[in-house]
Amino acid sequence: MSWLPETEFVSTFVEAVKQGKLMGTKCSKCGERYLPPRQHCKCGSQEIEWYEAPTKGQIAAHTIVALPPDSMAKYAPYIVAVGELEDGSRILAQITGVTPATLKVGLPVQVAPHQISQDRIVYKFKPL
Amino acid sequence: MTGKVGVVGIGHAKFGKRNDATIRELAFEAVKPALEDAKITTSEIDASVVGVAADVWAAQGSPGALIHDYVGMGNKPTFRVEAACATGSAGIRAAWSLIKAGLAEVVLVVGAETMTWVGTPVATEWMARAGDTRWEYPFGITFPGFYALMATRHMHEFGTTHMQMSMVSVKSHKYGAMNPYAHLQKEVSLEEAMKSVPICPPLNLYDCCLISDGAAAAILASEERAKKITDTPVWMTGLGAGSDTMMISERPSLVGLTAAQKAAEQAYKMAGVTPNDIKVACTHDCFSIAEIMSYEDLGFCKKGEGGKFIEEGQSYIGGKVPVNVDGGLKSKGHPLGATGVSMTVEITKQLRGEAGKRQVPNAEIGLTHNVGETGQYCMVHIYQR
Repeated sequence: MSWLPETEFVSTFVEAVKQGKLMGTKCSKCGERYLPPRQHCKCGSQEIEWYEAPTKGQIAAHTIVALPPDSMAKYAPYIVAVGELEDGSRILAQITGVTPATLKVGLPVQVAPHQISQDRIVYKFKPL
Repeated sequence: MTGKVGVVGIGHAKFGKRNDATIRELAFEAVKPALEDAKITTSEIDASVVGVAADVWAAQGSPGALIHDYVGMGNKPTFRVEAACATGSAGIRAAWSLIKAGLAEVVLVVGAETMTWVGTPVATEWMARAGDTRWEYPFGITFPGFYALMATRHMHEFGTTHMQMSMVSVKSHKYGAMNPYAHLQKEVSLEEAMKSVPICPPLNLYDCCLISDGAAAAILASEERAKKITDTPVWMTGLGAGSDTMMISERPSLVGLTAAQKAAEQAYKMAGVTPNDIKVACTHDCFSIAEIMSYEDLGFCKKGEGGKFIEEGQSYIGGKVPVNVDGGLKSKGHPLGATGVSMTVEITKQLRGEAGKRQVPNAEIGLTHNVGETGQYCMVHIYQR
């Protein structure tokens, strides 16, 4: 998922992303849901289970990164958005397949796997 | 310790691209005038708190120890604090706490940062890594990017315009041009501000604060000692602090900072004042949209009306609450660790009536609002004469 060494937990999530699935975690004790997933609940519980989150939603906020961080220089400009999924949870990711003209809050999107670079296998949004 | 805590000495280094100094010299440049202002020496100071946000920028592990030693604090107690861009205010809060706890009577707070030597792409990279490195940083989001997300949402929900954001920048530069310690001392026109280079649209260059080198210092004292040191102490009457989720995507709202709202509520309650009582404020304008949201989060206007607030000139001297009349982070500069202390310096000057051309009339109650990251940290302080 990131440039940091992965844990088994993150690998589980990344393997699902490669299959086009978005996996969140749910606390068995208090019922709180997390997407992106957490291995521990904020209530203090370690009893968590995976659940499959919806992959459809809409754009809640967006920006075009024209001045990228050094490590992303060769990919710029690219668009980053916060998407709100059908269950109300929000995730941040890049969005492709849109232009500055078609990019807007409320745009319906679908989450899809996205390999940014060799060490960054993530998800992205694409317009529905 | 019962009683109040007051600011008795202030000092400010020149903010800017300071190739002539490293972090230790910059810290000295701020501490020396603070000691002179209080008319005391380090022998009368019990402890220091040093605020430096990033070792990597200081090019020095434990930069607090270096600064404490360099400014002549000898073997006295010290520690360093870090709260990202709110580091300086964390230092002030820690010093206040030391005095109230009775561990010290007079405390030196120094905030410093050296950032310009790495260049913008690397600076952007290092800053981006302060976002959640597992779930947000890998997507290439940057700090201007995070605030741009809030800007598009604010525009969507309230009809805030980019022109209104540019107006914040015009104001910052107007006052920054009058501040000899500011990084960029020049005015800009609305047209220049609106048509500048895109950084993270809708935010362009003039919507973003500067990457600067600098330092600021403040000496805080117990009520008893403050009254002996100076005839013009400025009292800290309200302190508030809040925090928020590491991931911006986990927040239910993107049009304000919950940490700031919580911090403000605590500070107003403690000081026994309302937003209407604030005569001058330094708020965290790391980006133009951030200043607009600060008007709302601090209760200077209703949520969603921040754009109108600047458009009506309410944050200029003569308006409802003059904000960032020292040039703010935009024009004065934003050396991370120094910023919160610099805000304290400015409000102290204003409350003493020593701000010269930038003086706000009848500045009796002032406020600082210092945000770390995108609201993972926020500290609000209220000062009174």
